[in-house]
Amino acid sequence: MEPRIVLAAGLRLPQARAGALFAREDAAHLGATLARELLARSGLDPREFDEVVVGCVGPPHDQANVARVIALRAGVPRSVPAHTVGRNCASGMQAVLDAATAILAGRGELFLALGVEVMSAYPLLFNPGAVAFFGRLAREKSVGRKLAILASFRPAMLAPRVALTEGLTDPTVGLIMGSTAEILAREFGITREAADRFALESHRRAKSARDQGRMQREIVPHLPLGSREGATALCHDDGIRDDQSLEALAKLKPYFEKPDGTVTVGNACAITDGATALIVTTEERSRALGLAPLARIRGFAWAGCDPARMGLGPVFASAKALDQAGCTLGDLGVIEINEAFAAQVLACLQAFESARFAEEHLGRTRALGSIDPARVNPNGGAIAIGHPVGATGARLLLTAALELERGNHELALATLCIGGGQGGAVVLERAS
Amino acid sequence: MIDLAGLPLPPNPPAPGSSVRIERPRAGLARLVLDPPHRPKIAVFDVPLLVDLDLAVTELERDGALRALVITGRGPLSFCAGADVETIAALTDPSLVRRFVAEGQKLFQRVHRLGRDGGGRVSTIAAVGGPVPGGACEIALACDRIVLADHEKTRIGLPEVKLGIFPAWGGSQRLPRRIGVPAALGAILSGRLYTAREALRLGLADRLAHPEYLLRVAEAIALGQEHCPRRGSSGVKKALVDRNPIAAVFLAQRARSAVTRETHGHYPAPLAVIPLVVAAPRRSLSEGLEHELEAVQPLASSPVSKNLLRLFLLSEEQKRLGEYPESTPARGFPRAGVIGAGIMGGAIASLLAERGIDVRLRDLDRRALDAAALQHRAEIEKSLHKRRLKRHEAHAAIDRLETTTDAAGFARCGIVVEAVAEKIEVKRAVFGELARLLAPDAVLATNTSSLSVDAIGEGIPGPERVVGLHFFNPVRRMPLVEVVRGKETSDEVVARISRLALDLGKTPVVVADVAGFLVNRVLGPYLDEAVRLVEAGLDPDEIDAALVRFGMPMGPCELLDEVGLDIAMHAAASLEAAYGPRMRASRYLAPRVEARELGKKNGAGLYRWGPARDGRPEKLGRNPHLGDRGDLALGEEEIVDRCVLALANEAARCLEEKVVAKPSELDLALVFGTGFAPFRGGILRFMDARGIPEVVIRLRSLQEARDIAPSADRRARFEPCALLSELARTGGRFHG
Repeated sequence: MEPRIVLAAGLRLPQARAGALFAREDAAHLGATLARELLARSGLDPREFDEVVVGCVGPPHDQANVARVIALRAGVPRSVPAHTVGRNCASGMQAVLDAATAILAGRGELFLALGVEVMSAYPLLFNPGAVAFFGRLAREKSVGRKLAILASFRPAMLAPRVALTEGLTDPTVGLIMGSTAEILAREFGITREAADRFALESHRRAKSARDQGRMQREIVPHLPLGSREGATALCHDDGIRDDQSLEALAKLKPYFEKPDGTVTVGNACAITDGATALIVTTEERSRALGLAPLARIRGFAWAGCDPARMGLGPVFASAKALDQAGCTLGDLGVIEINEAFAAQVLACLQAFESARFAEEHLGRTRALGSIDPARVNPNGGAIAIGHPVGATGARLLLTAALELERGNHELALATLCIGGGQGGAVVLERAS
Repeated sequence: MIDLAGLPLPPNPPAPGSSVRIERPRAGLARLVLDPPHRPKIAVFDVPLLVDLDLAVTELERDGALRALVITGRGPLSFCAGADVETIAALTDPSLVRRFVAEGQKLFQRVHRLGRDGGGRVSTIAAVGGPVPGGACEIALACDRIVLADHEKTRIGLPEVKLGIFPAWGGSQRLPRRIGVPAALGAILSGRLYTAREALRLGLADRLAHPEYLLRVAEAIALGQEHCPRRGSSGVKKALVDRNPIAAVFLAQRARSAVTRETHGHYPAPLAVIPLVVAAPRRSLSEGLEHELEAVQPLASSPVSKNLLRLFLLSEEQKRLGEYPESTPARGFPRAGVIGAGIMGGAIASLLAERGIDVRLRDLDRRALDAAALQHRAEIEKSLHKRRLKRHEAHAAIDRLETTTDAAGFARCGIVVEAVAEKIEVKRAVFGELARLLAPDAVLATNTSSLSVDAIGEGIPGPERVVGLHFFNPVRRMPLVEVVRGKETSDEVVARISRLALDLGKTPVVVADVAGFLVNRVLGPYLDEAVRLVEAGLDPDEIDAALVRFGMPMGPCELLDEVGLDIAMHAAASLEAAYGPRMRASRYLAPRVEARELGKKNGAGLYRWGPARDGRPEKLGRNPHLGDRGDLALGEEEIVDRCVLALANEAARCLEEKVVAKPSELDLALVFGTGFAPFRGGILRFMDARGIPEVVIRLRSLQEARDIAPSADRRARFEPCALLSELARTGGRFHG
C-alpha cells in the first residue's frame, strides 16, 4: 500500500522586497535560521531526518550545495545528507516533491524541505571582454608584458552582466519573463485595466490577511543581518501596499513592451527575498513524532509547455495533477496560484474555464472546470507579497495547507508557472 | 651540579633522572625531552625537573660530537608551564628565593652557551607548542632558534608580572635582545600570552610548523638542512632604539608613567623590571642577569606577590569544581534556554551562543529580543575583527542564538536560565511553565540577585535540579559566577553548572542561598557607608579617590552610578529585610531615584555624566541636585576604614554562617566579583595582614564616631561579628 505523505509542519520567513531589508542576508543564513526555528518548534531530534532538500535558483557561489550549508548551520548533524535542487520558479515545490518521491520509492521517511532565495545577492558579472583581459593579465609574468596588457583595457569592459536579468530571460526563445506575459495578454484579450484590478485585489487580500492575523501561524519574525541598532524584526511581508489604488497603478508605464503593453511593475510580482520550510513525512510517522499533519499530498504533476507562453504552465500541470488525484476543479476549496504577472494569472483562469483550450491543448472535450475568483489566492499573492523564486513553490504549499483548516475546505491546489515553459501542481487534502 | 637544597619537593616526587630524557635519533643530533612522570597534565620546572635538566645539560656539554640539539616536550602541544607556581608560592626565606632564581638563571645560561649564538658549537632549537609561559618561554629564549607549533592552543609569553614578579631566568635580558626593547617592554609589562601567529610577527618565534611536523622541521633546521633566519628586530632598529641611551630614557619614562597610571603604585613588579629591560642591550648578559637576580628577590618574597600567587592557585583550584564525582559521566549542555532578554539575559544568551551552545532566548517583548540579537551580532563582529574568531565560526555563533516570544521550542533544552524581572511571582510562574515544557531532569537555573533560589523553586518537581547561577554585570567582563546551592540541589547539578561556568570562561564559587548571596551581601554595607559619607558632606570624588588608592578598580560612588541607584536601593531593601537593622540603608538617594536620576544610564546619579566616549560616559562632577550637605570632614584613612571595614565585618559574618565553604573561596569571590585589590589577596587576607585584633579595635572605635554613635543601626553595622571577636581573642587568623 502506498504510504500517505503529509506536510507535517511548516513555517516561513516574512518576504522582503529585494535590495531593502534583507539586502545583507545570504541564502545559508536565511535558510538556517528558518530551519532552526522549525526544528525547535517541532521538538524533533534533527538526527531523525533522512535528508535535507533545498530548492534555490541562484545559490551564492561561496555556499556550494547550499542545502548542506543550511543543514549544518541549522544544527542538523553531519550524518544527515543534504542536496540542492533547481526547477526555476518551482524549485521550492521541487524540494518538497523530491522528498515525497523519495518516500514513495522507499528511500527514507522523514525529510526537511526548504525553498530559499536571496535575490538581493544576485551578482554582477564581468563581461567576456573583461574576463579575457584578466586572463591575459594573469598569464603574463613579466612586468613589461603586464603593463602592455594593462594598456589594452577598454571602458566597455566595465559594463557588467546582470545575473538577475539574465536569469529571468529564457535562452531558448530569447524572451524575458514579462514578455511571455505580454504574449498571453494579447492572446487572451487581457486589458491593462483588468490586470491592474487583479493587482489591486491581491494587495487588498494580503492586507486583510495580515491585519486579521491570518498569517501569524505561518510567519516567523526575522531580524535580518545588517540591521542597525534600534532596528526591529520584520513580522509581515513588506511588499504589501496598504494604499494601493487603481489610480496609482494606472500611472505606471508598461515595463517590457513600451508604449502599449499590459505588464507594469505594479501588476507583476516583485523581486523578493524569502524562505519557506516544510517537514515532509508519512502520516504514520508524523503521528508517531507527535506532529498533527497540516495536509496530505493527494497528487502532484509536472508538465511541459511552450517556453514563449510559460505562464500557462499551471493549466497543463493542474490538469495532470487533478486527474492523478481523482478530483475536479470544482472540488477545490482553495487555489494557490503564483502571481508571476496579473495578465498571466488571468490568462490561466480563462484557460481553465475554456472548452476550446482544453480541446486544443489538453486533449479533452470539456473545459477543466469553473473557478470562483474568491477561492483563488484568498490571502493575496505574489503581486503583493513578492516572488522569491526558489522559495515560492514551497510557500504556496504552506499557505494552501493552512488555508484548508482556516477556510474549512477539503481540497486545495497549489500551482505555478515555470520559466522555460513548465508548470507544477500539487493537490492537497485536509488531514483528518 | 645544580644546588636546590632546602627548596620544597612536590608531594609525589619521581625517580631521579626520570623527568628528562635525551633521545639520539641520528649521529650528532640530540633531542632533549621534558617528560616528568609525576606531572601528567603538563611539565613544570619544579625541583626534580630542574635537577634532571641539569644532569642532561651536563651530559650534552660533555658530548664533543654533538652538533644539533632540539629541546622539546612530551608532545608538540605539551611542553612546560614554566616555573612551578606552588614552589614559588611556598618560598618565604629570601635565601631560598635567591637560590631558586640564581640556579635557574645559571642552568639556562648554560643552555645558551651551548648554542651557536652563545659561542658554542651546537645548533640549539626549541621545538615547542601549546602553553609556553614564563620559564618555558625563557628556556626557549636561551636557544638559537624557536620553532612554534602553529595551533590555536599555542600561547607563548612572559606573564610573571601578573603574579607580582617578573621573568628572572634571563627573560628580561634575552627577550629585548631578540625582539627589541619596545616590544619586549610591551610583552613583559602586559604579561600577554601570544598566539603562534602573533609570536611570529613579534619575532618571538622564528618559524611556525604544523604540530605534526614540528620535530621534523626543528631537526632539519638544527642539522643545517633548512635555513631559518632570526625573526627578531633588525640591526637598524637595534642601533637607533635599543642601543640609544636617549631613546632608553624616553622609553623607560613612558613605560613607568603608563604602569603607575594603571596600578597606582600598588604593584612594584612592573616598575622594577622596566630598567632591566631597557638597559639590557647595552649591558653584557652576565651583568644583566646579576641585576635581574637582585631586583626580583624582594619582589618574590613580598606579600603582594604571595597574594597574587595564591589567587592564581585558587582560581586554578576552582576549575576542579567542574570535575565530576567518580561515577558520573561528564554531561554538558548542548542546548540551553534563556528566559528574559534584558541586559543580563541577553548577555548570558550571547555568551552561551558564542561558546558553542545552541541557545533559545525568550521574551514577551519582541523589541528586547531584537536588541539582544543585535548586541550579540555586534559582539561577534568585534571578536571577528580582533581575529578571535574565524568567519565561519562567527557565522555559527550568530546562527546559534534563536529568539522567540513563544513558549514552544524549549523541549530539548538541557538547561534553562531565567533572567526575568526580580519579582518572585514572575519568576515562580516562569519556573512552573518551564517545568511543564522541559524534560524532568533539565536543569532550572535562576540568575536572581535578590531573591531566594528555594523560594523561586518551591513546589517544582525535581527540586534537585533547581540552582542559582548568578552572573555579574557586565556579563562578558566579570569573571565570577556565584553558583547558589538550594536546599535540595544535587552535587551533580552543582558540578555540571560549575563546569558550564568554566566553559564560559568564568570562575565559579559555590555559595549558600541567603539574601545577597555573597558578593552583593558584603557590598551592601560598603556602598551604604559611601552614601552616608556623601550625605555627611564629603565629595563623591574624594571618597572614590580614596578607595581607588586603596586598590579598588572603581570607587563606590561611581560603582553605584554604574549599577543604577534604583537597583542598589532595591537590593539594599532586600538585605535589610533579611538581615535587619545593621543593613538599613540611607534614604539620601531616594529623591534622586524618584527624579529618575539613576546613574550612568540617565546622565546623573551621584555624579553628572556626559555622553559616552568609546562606550564610557564622561564624569562631569558631583550631581548638583544631591541634597543638603553636612559638614563632616574625614581623612583618607577613615574614609577607607568605614567602607572597607563595614564590608570586612559582613564578610567575616558570611564565613561564620558558612555562606561559602572556605576562606580562600571567599577571598577569590570578592576579588573576582568586585575587583577587590588583588594585590591584597582578598578581604580576609587583608584583615589577617592588618591584624584581626587591630580590626576589631578599629570597628569599635568607629562605633563611637560622632555621626555613628547616636544610631543603633549604624552601631550594629560596626559591631564586630562573633567570629572576629573570637579570632581577636585567641590570636587566630582566617588563613593559617
